[in-house]
Order: sequence, then C-alpha cells, then structure tokens
Amino acid sequence: MKLSSEARDILETSMRQNKVSDADRAHIEEAVAAMPDDRVLLYKNVVSNPVGDIYRYSIHIRIQHMLTFVTFLTLAFTGLPIHFFETFWSGPFNEILGGVSVTRIIHRTIAVIMIVSMIYHFLTITLGSVWRIRAGTFDIRRTIIPLWKDIRDFRDDMAYNAGKRDQRPEMDKFNYKQKIHYFAAAFGNMVMVVSGSAFLFPEFWASVLPSSIASHWQELMRLSHPHEALLALLVIAFWHWYNVHLAPGRFPMQWTFLTGKITREHQIEEHFLEYLRNLVEVPEERKELIDMLESRELSAIDDSQAAAEGAPS
Amino acid sequence: MATRLACAITALMFLLAPQFVSALDAPTDDEGCLMCHKYPMMGRITDEGVLRSYYVVPHVFNKTVHRNVPCRDCHTYIKKLPHETVNTGVTCSTECHSIKNPATGKPFSHKAIVNAYTGSVHGRDKIATGGDTDKPYCITCHTNPINNPHEDLPPKRITDRCVLCHEKRSFVNQWYSHTSRRIKEVRRSPEQIVELCSSCHGKKELVDRHLELAKKEGRELGRKFAFAVDSYKESFHGKLTAKGFTKTANCLDCHADRENYYKSVHEIRPSRDPLSPVSPQRKVETCKQCHTFADENYAALDPHPTSHAEDNLFRYWAEKIYNIVGEVVIVALVALSLFETWGRRRDGVGWRLKHGSSWWRKSKRGRDRVI
Repeated sequence: MKLSSEARDILETSMRQNKVSDADRAHIEEAVAAMPDDRVLLYKNVVSNPVGDIYRYSIHIRIQHMLTFVTFLTLAFTGLPIHFFETFWSGPFNEILGGVSVTRIIHRTIAVIMIVSMIYHFLTITLGSVWRIRAGTFDIRRTIIPLWKDIRDFRDDMAYNAGKRDQRPEMDKFNYKQKIHYFAAAFGNMVMVVSGSAFLFPEFWASVLPSSIASHWQELMRLSHPHEALLALLVIAFWHWYNVHLAPGRFPMQWTFLTGKITREHQIEEHFLEYLRNLVEVPEERKELIDMLESRELSAIDDSQAAAEGAPS
Repeated sequence: MATRLACAITALMFLLAPQFVSALDAPTDDEGCLMCHKYPMMGRITDEGVLRSYYVVPHVFNKTVHRNVPCRDCHTYIKKLPHETVNTGVTCSTECHSIKNPATGKPFSHKAIVNAYTGSVHGRDKIATGGDTDKPYCITCHTNPINNPHEDLPPKRITDRCVLCHEKRSFVNQWYSHTSRRIKEVRRSPEQIVELCSSCHGKKELVDRHLELAKKEGRELGRKFAFAVDSYKESFHGKLTAKGFTKTANCLDCHADRENYYKSVHEIRPSRDPLSPVSPQRKVETCKQCHTFADENYAALDPHPTSHAEDNLFRYWAEKIYNIVGEVVIVALVALSLFETWGRRRDGVGWRLKHGSSWWRKSKRGRDRVI
C-alpha cells in the first residue's frame, strides 16, 4: 500500500518514537507494502477474534469505564424516579430500593464514587501524558483532543455512508464520534456534579453568588440536573449502545471494555492510523498480517512483483 | 317550601325502617332528638338536588370528640320539638353551656381559634356568599374522624387502676381515649396536608373564579396563586413529599408558624402580610427552620418554580432551549446511526462475525471478502 502523507507521517513518527531497529523498520515497511491499496479489501479480509486482537485500553481505563458504567446507571435508576415522580414506574422504581428516603442516600453516595472515578480518570490521562512527554513518545494525534482532522473525517465518513466515497477516512486512535462522545460525557459529568451540588448545598451556592444571579443560578441547576441526566441516558441508550452493541460488526457486544482489546477488522476500518502504530509496536501483528495477506493472495507485494515479471495479476 | 319539606321528612320517616334500630342500642337521649333522628333515611333532597342526611348514628356519634356535648349546646336554635326549619346550622364558635373548661371553669368554646381563623386569608362566616363560599369552613378540614384505634380498646391494665377511685369504667375509658388522642400526634401527614390544600388550590375552576373575582374587585392575589399546587408538586419539596418522605417542607411548614403551629394553621396569611412566615420580612427565618445556613439570597430562591413565561421568563427560555437541544441531539444521533448502518451495510457488513469477519455479505460497491 502506498500510504497517504498523513499515514506516512504517523508511521515515521511512531518508528522514531519507538526507536525501531533497521531490521524492524524493514519488516514494518514490508508489512505496509503488503497491504492492498484498497483498504476496504484489507479490513474485509483479515481474520478477527470476536473478543479482540489488538491491545487498546489499559486496565485503568477499563476500571474507570466500569465505574462510570455502574455509577451512571445507578444514579439514573435512583434519580429519575424522583424527577418523574408522577409516572407509573416511579413508584415501583423507588420502592425496589426501599423508598425515596433510601434512594436519596444511595444517589448521593454513588455520586461521590462517580466524582472519585472522574478524579481517577483525570489523574490517569494527565500523568500518562506527562510520562509520555518525558519519554518522548507523546503524539497529540493519538489522544482524545479534538483536531481539525476530525471535521474532515466526519465529512469524509458521511460521504462514504452516502456512497460518494470509496472507503472510510483514515481515522486515528479516537475518531470523531468517540471525541464527541467523550467530551459530551465529560461536560455532562461536570454539569451533573455542579448542579447536584446546588441541590445538596443550596445555601452554599446562594451565599457565594451575587444576589442578582443566585436565584437564576439555582433555577438553571434545577433544570440542568434532570435534563442533562435524561439527555445522557438517551445518548447512552441510542448512540453508545448502538456503537458498541447494535452496529453491524459490533453485535452483540464489543468486548474491549473487559479485555482491553479491539478486533483487527475494527481497528483497520475505524482506526487505521492507530493500526499503523500497532504494526510498529507489535512485531507479531506484522507477521500475522503478512502471512494472512499471502495466504489469501492479497499481498500487494506479490502483485507488484508479478506485474514486474509481466505476468497477469 | 317549608310545608313541602315537612311532608317529605314525614314520608321518609314512615317509609324507612325504624325496625333497624334496636331498642337496646338506643343511647341516652334526654333532649328527645333521637325521636326523629334515629331513623336511618331521615333526610331531604335540597333544591340543588343534593341528598342531605339528618340521621344520627348513635354508636358512631358516641365515638366522636363531641359525644359528651348535648345536641342543643351546638344546635342552640332548637327551642321546641318538632323544631322550626334550620337556616344557619351550627357555628363552631358557640359556647357550650353544659361543658365547662376544666382549667377556667368557663363554658367550653372554640371561639379563640375561630377568631384566629376568621382573621386569616381563609376566614368566612358559616353562611357565606360570593367568593367566600369557596373558602373552607371548620368542617372542611376537621372531618372529626372516628378511626382512632386507641379509642376502641383502652389498655385494661392501665384503666383498671383508674377505676379504683373513679369508679365508673365508661368515664375512665372516655377520659383515657380523649387524653391519649391528644397526646398522640394527630396532625395530618405531609401527603395528607398537600392533598387537603390541593382540594381547593388545585381545583382549576375554583382558582380561575377567584382570579377573575380578584381582578374585578381590584384585589391583589399572591403571585403563585394561579399555580400554587402544580408548582409545589414540581419543586423538590413536592416531589419528595409525593414519594412519602416526611422530612421535607409541606404547605404548612412554610405557610404556618412552627412555633405556634396549631393556632397558626388557622390563621394563614397572604405572603404580602408582614406577619406571614413567607413574607419578605420573615422568609429567611422560615427557611432557616430547615436550611440552617439560609441567608437573604437563599430566601430569594423560588420554592414554587414554574416555567410559565408570565411567572419566570428566565426559566421559561432555559427550559425551552434545553428541550430543543435535547430533541435535536437525539434526532441527530439516531439519524447518524441509521445513516451509518445503511452505508456500511451496503458495503457488505453483517451483524455477526462469520468465519472471523463481519464483512461476509455481498457488497453493493463491488469489493467482497475472499472466501
């Protein structure tokens, strides 16, 4: 495969940061050259293990996801029946856990665990980035930080879905959807924490804010908490669960949140630039890829050699 | 009218079953009222078509708080039997002639509390006209319940001691029941208080009638009068109360004085009255009953929040924007997901992994998996 300038830059950066040997460099270039130019053929023809092939998330991120998963649903389960107090389901939902005098305590306790989880996550990504910067292996394109490229990726992905483009864009470790989702969740969490504190400590907020806005602030927080909760729940239900459970190719479940691994076809389809880094960092993956392409007679090296010899490809 | 009424009552008395009343059940009736009022179907149909029963059920009446009060202590207008047409009925401020206040020796009366009630925003005469007819009279709230389980069986091991000196067990039992009923907290639960207040303040036609009346008379009503119940139910206080939580504010926790609660609930005042616990002058003090650190900023928070444009424009727009953003986001995400599914499906992806790949379906774009 002839890499795009963007992909080539990612690959070169990764090889430089990983200080690969000449032998490894040659092996990496061989794997890249073996990939067919049409990336669609590549991800359609690799073999994937449903529970994941390529390491993607550390144990810390998986614990944080699990904490968010449990706390978010428990908070929704104990909070929404209070807000929608007139609905037919609010009574049974409250009663299951012992009534509102119990659920309000559970809600606050779980909220504290959620905040601890947020702090844990913030420390993980901050310290992880500091460690990578010091080690010279930091690459902003590999982080969750939104870049202009994401807008281009979104446009190109829409064009692919509409049939106007051959293949999906070459996206990085975190694609535009994941970045939107991550920052929506981060923003939502902050809104929930601040507005929840306005419920729990209304006197504090009233005393620190100027009198002209104290009342408006409290009203905004009273609106924000249930609205943001409901929005988050719907986004989780409609989008996140679609992406990790219902989308074709991901059904019935992506195991990444448990195993930390992503399937090979998924990595190549949606995170091709990260897959190039995988080729640099995981020698076994290079070997696996080259062998697989050769066995399926899809290796671009064979094609070029055959063409050079004048034989039909 | 009076003749028709007398005929109707007489007919009912003859038609309806005196045989239901056993002679053994007949209570003491020195005034002779039960001569007529013992008949179960004693009553009449008013000009408005409402059935009014005048039947006195002896064993039920004997359990009420008024069981020892002779009928004519309250029905003072009864001078002879059969009596004249009754126009005014009982007023609760009447002084009893037979029952003395044991503390003062004076005739017992509810006059003091009736006077407090008359001066409140709910105050009205027994026979009211115009908008006052919608206001509660004593019996609207004091339904005189007879379901106090303590009154059924006073504990014998206690009353046995009393009987030694007081001799009469019926007296001891009644005294015990009276005292225990008042020592026990008999106020309504928070949910019942909200339900009671809502029975008028949540009735749309009644509220609208008073809004109209106040407008016509140039009177000022509370800013939240039109939606007092709905806004309370929407508040955090209301939601928790609705779910049976008792440690949050109900209507009377704010609109009545905690210090003198039982009198204060009778003299609810509008918030513009400086004596009202929710007046600007006293609001901080009222909030502090529960919210220890409440200050003036805190007291300015709206305990009856609504998103009506005429009530709170800021909240109205904030909620509108929230709703629009929420709907747009959900529609956009669902649309994006469907679009993506459609696009990828056309390229041959399937829902399940088959032979290690999800791309086993035939692509409409001409590049298929090599099998």
